[in-house]
Amino acid sequence: MDGTSRGRLFGKNVLEAVFRASPDEDLFLGELLVGVDEATGRRYLFRVVDVTYGSEHREPGWAERVAGTLLSDDSRGEAGLHPLHDQALRTYRVATCRCLGYLSPEGEFRKPKSLPTQFSRVISPEPADFAFLRTKMGDLPIGHLRSGETVVDFEVGIPGASLASHVGVFATTGMGKSNLMKVLASGVMQRGGRYGLLLVDPHGEYRTSLAKHPWAGARLRTYAARRLPNTSALRVSLAELAVDDLRTAYEWSRPQEEALFELERHYAAADLRWLLDFAQIDDLGAFREIDLNGRVALNTLQVVHRRARRIVELPCVAADPNVSVGGAVLRDLQDGKVVLIDVSGLGSTEEVLVASFLTRKVLDEWSAAYLEQPELHERLPVVAIALEEAQRVLSRNRDRESNVFPRVAREGRKFKVGLCAVTQQPKLLDDELLSQFNTFFVLGLADEKDRNILRSSSKQDISALGPEIQTLMPGECLVANLEAPFAVPAKVHLYDDVVRSCDPPPARMEAAPANVSALVD
Amino acid sequence: MGVEPSLQHAAARLAELLTGRVAALSDPSGRDLVFEATIEIRPLDRRPAPADVWAVDGGQCVVADARCVQLLVTRAARVRYAAGERVLEDEGELKAHLLGVGEDRASLVALGLALDPNTSVDVNLLRDRWEWDAVERAIEEAQPGALVLVDGDLVPDWRIPSTFMGELLGRAAERNVLVAGVTKHSSLARGGAPLVGHLELEAAVQFGARAMWWATVARTRSDFGAGGLQVVVARLDPDARFAFRVDLPASADPSEALGALSAVSDDAAFPGYPYPLSVADQLAACPPWLRQELWLELDELFHRAGVPLEVRERAFTDRHKLMERA
Repeated sequence: MDGTSRGRLFGKNVLEAVFRASPDEDLFLGELLVGVDEATGRRYLFRVVDVTYGSEHREPGWAERVAGTLLSDDSRGEAGLHPLHDQALRTYRVATCRCLGYLSPEGEFRKPKSLPTQFSRVISPEPADFAFLRTKMGDLPIGHLRSGETVVDFEVGIPGASLASHVGVFATTGMGKSNLMKVLASGVMQRGGRYGLLLVDPHGEYRTSLAKHPWAGARLRTYAARRLPNTSALRVSLAELAVDDLRTAYEWSRPQEEALFELERHYAAADLRWLLDFAQIDDLGAFREIDLNGRVALNTLQVVHRRARRIVELPCVAADPNVSVGGAVLRDLQDGKVVLIDVSGLGSTEEVLVASFLTRKVLDEWSAAYLEQPELHERLPVVAIALEEAQRVLSRNRDRESNVFPRVAREGRKFKVGLCAVTQQPKLLDDELLSQFNTFFVLGLADEKDRNILRSSSKQDISALGPEIQTLMPGECLVANLEAPFAVPAKVHLYDDVVRSCDPPPARMEAAPANVSALVD
Repeated sequence: MGVEPSLQHAAARLAELLTGRVAALSDPSGRDLVFEATIEIRPLDRRPAPADVWAVDGGQCVVADARCVQLLVTRAARVRYAAGERVLEDEGELKAHLLGVGEDRASLVALGLALDPNTSVDVNLLRDRWEWDAVERAIEEAQPGALVLVDGDLVPDWRIPSTFMGELLGRAAERNVLVAGVTKHSSLARGGAPLVGHLELEAAVQFGARAMWWATVARTRSDFGAGGLQVVVARLDPDARFAFRVDLPASADPSEALGALSAVSDDAAFPGYPYPLSVADQLAACPPWLRQELWLELDELFHRAGVPLEVRERAFTDRHKLMERA
C-alpha cells in the first residue's frame, strides 16, 4: 500500500463515489480505498461495490464491435490479427464505491456528510487510515482486515460485551462457520473468565480441535451425550426439564399440546418426571378413558406416548436430579468458560431439547441474579449460547411463549445472556428476532433472499454489498455491528493457526479464583 | 399515402444508375482526374508497418452565426506513432475566422497563399489550408521512410494552386516520406453507381470475402506537379467492412505503399481503416462542448468590448431553432 494513484474521482454523491481507473487497474469488490481531498485535507474511505468498463468511444456498440472482431480472430485461430491499439488510452475502468466516511485532518472518523473535491486522487489506504478502528475492534479477535482480496495487517474483532446483544453467523456450507466459531471460542477462552460460551455441537466437530487449544485445560469444559474421552457425561434430569422444553424441541399440533397440558395436570407436576410413568403405560386406551376421562383423543395420546418413551430412553436423560449437569454447566459458565455440549448421536429434536433446557437454566440463573442479587450479576460474565441451525428455534412459526430462545433474543441482553445463532438460511429466521441481533458475521451467502433479510436487519448498511457477499471466499466475512462505523471486511483467522500462535495461559491462572479476571476488568 | 410520381421516377432512374452497365468512370465532386481505361483488381499483401507514422486531420465549427457574418474556427490535428507507440498528440491550434460582409478578404490574406484577391472564401478553404500546413510540418519532422496519412484525398481545395501540392509532394519525396490520403466516403463513380462498392463486390467474387486487394482507378493530370497522384481503391484488411479510396504520389509503388498502409489498418475497432487517422479525426473534431466553450469566451470578449447584450442576442439567436420550438 503506497500513495500511488489508483484512480481519479469524478462523480456521484455524498454516499457514493465513482472513479476512473486505468484499464489494467486490478480493482476488487470490497476493496477499501481512500479518496484524498487535497483541498480539505480529508481522507474519504471508500469501499468498492462495483467495477465496470468504460471507453473513450461514444459510438453505440463500439465495445461489442471490438469484441466481435477479436472473437472472429479467435474462431479462425488468428488471435492477435487485430490488436486494439492504444487500449490503455481508449478504455478504462469505472469503480463505484460506497463512501464509508472520512478522516478529518486530525484523524477523527466521521460519517459521510460532504462531497470530496471532484477529481481527487484515489489511493490505497495506509495503516494510519484504519487507526480509528483500533478502539472499535474489541477484545475477541476473529481475523484480519481484508481489502478486496488483500489481507491487511490489522486485527478485526468484536467486543466480548456485545455477545449479550446477540451474534448471528450466516453462511452457506463450506464458507467457514465452524472455523469462525472455534476462533470465537478461542477468544473467549483467552479472555480468562470475562465471558462464557455455551456451544451446542450437533456434529461433534469441535471437541477434538477445541481440546487442542492451549487454554483448553483451564477454560474448556466438554459434556458429551456419548461416551467420549476427556468429556463429562451429559445427563439431563427429567426433574429439570419442563413442558416448555418439549414444546420447543418438538412440533406439536394443537390437540397434542392440549394433551400435554392435560397430562401435566393429571400428574400434577412442574417438571417432566411424569414422563417416566406415562411412558410405561401399556394400555393407553384404558388410561385415556379412566385417568383422562376421555378428554384426549387416543391417536393424539399415542403420539405423545411415543415421544415420551423416546425421551426417557435417551441415554442422556435421567430421572435422578442429582446426576443432572444443569448445575455444573451453570458453574462453568459463571466461571467464564467455554462449555461445549457435544450432542452428536442425538437426533435434531433431542439436541434442541438439551439446548432449550440449558438455555432456560442460564436465562433463569442470570435473570434471577439481575433481579435479586445485582452485585452478583455485576460479577457474572457475559454468556453467549451458540446454536447451529438456529432457524429451528428462531423461525417465525416457532416464536411462542414456551420457546426460550426468542425470550433470550428479546430479554437476554439486560441479563448479559446472548444468543449466537448460526444458520445457513437467515431468511427462515423471524425478522423481528433478527433485528435484536446487533452483531452479524456474514460469510458467503449464495441465496439472494438470505442476503436481503440480512440487509434489512443489519446494524450497518450492507445494502450495496450484495455482490460482495455473493463472492466471499471461504474464511472471508463481513462483520457488522454497532461498534464499527461500517461493515468491516475480514479474513477470519484459521483456528489451527490461532492454536499454533497462542501462548499458554499464565500458570497462576489455574489457581486463581473464578471470575477474578472479570472483577479486575 | 401513395408514392409521389416524381419519387417513382427518381427511384426508377436511380435503380438504372446503380445497376446499369454504363462503364464510364467519373468523380462528380473531384477535378483533375484522368481515369484508367480498365480497372484491374490485384491482391494486396500486408507489409511491415513503417516505424514512423503520422496522421493529419482537420476540423471546424461555427461558433457564432449572424447569417450575414459568421465566426468559425478550424484546427488541424496531428498524431504520431513511433514503433507503434503514440508519441505525439497535437489537437492543433484553434484558428478563428470571420466570413461575410467583406471580412472574407482578411481571412483570405491570413491564409498566406498567393491567391487571387477575388477568390471566394469558405470553411473548406480555411480548413484545408491549415490542414495542409499541418501535413507540411509532419513531412518536415518525419523520419525518412515515414508514412504521413491525410484524411481525405490529396487533391486540395480547388482554390489552392496545384503548384502548392506539387511542392509539398516534392519535399516529401526529397525526405523519403510517403504521403497517402484516405477517403472514407468517396464520390468516385462508375456510370451512376459508387465505384468503390462495385469494386468491393467484384473483388469478393474474384479473390474471396476475406481478400485484401487494390486497384488503380485514376491519375491526376500531368500538370499537377511532382509527377502527380495516382488514385487507387484498396481493401486494407481481411475483415474490413469497406474499401477506401487512397491517393498516393504517382512515384510510389502502390503494392508497397498500400501494404504499409494496411499494416496500420488492423485495429480491432475498425479493421481496414488506418488507426492513426481515426485518432487524428477524434483530436481534430470540434464537439458541441467545445463550441459552447468558445461561445462563452466570445461572449465575454463581446462584453468587454461593450457590445450590449441585446445586440448580441439579436445577432446570434438561432431563429430557426426558436421557430421550431414555437
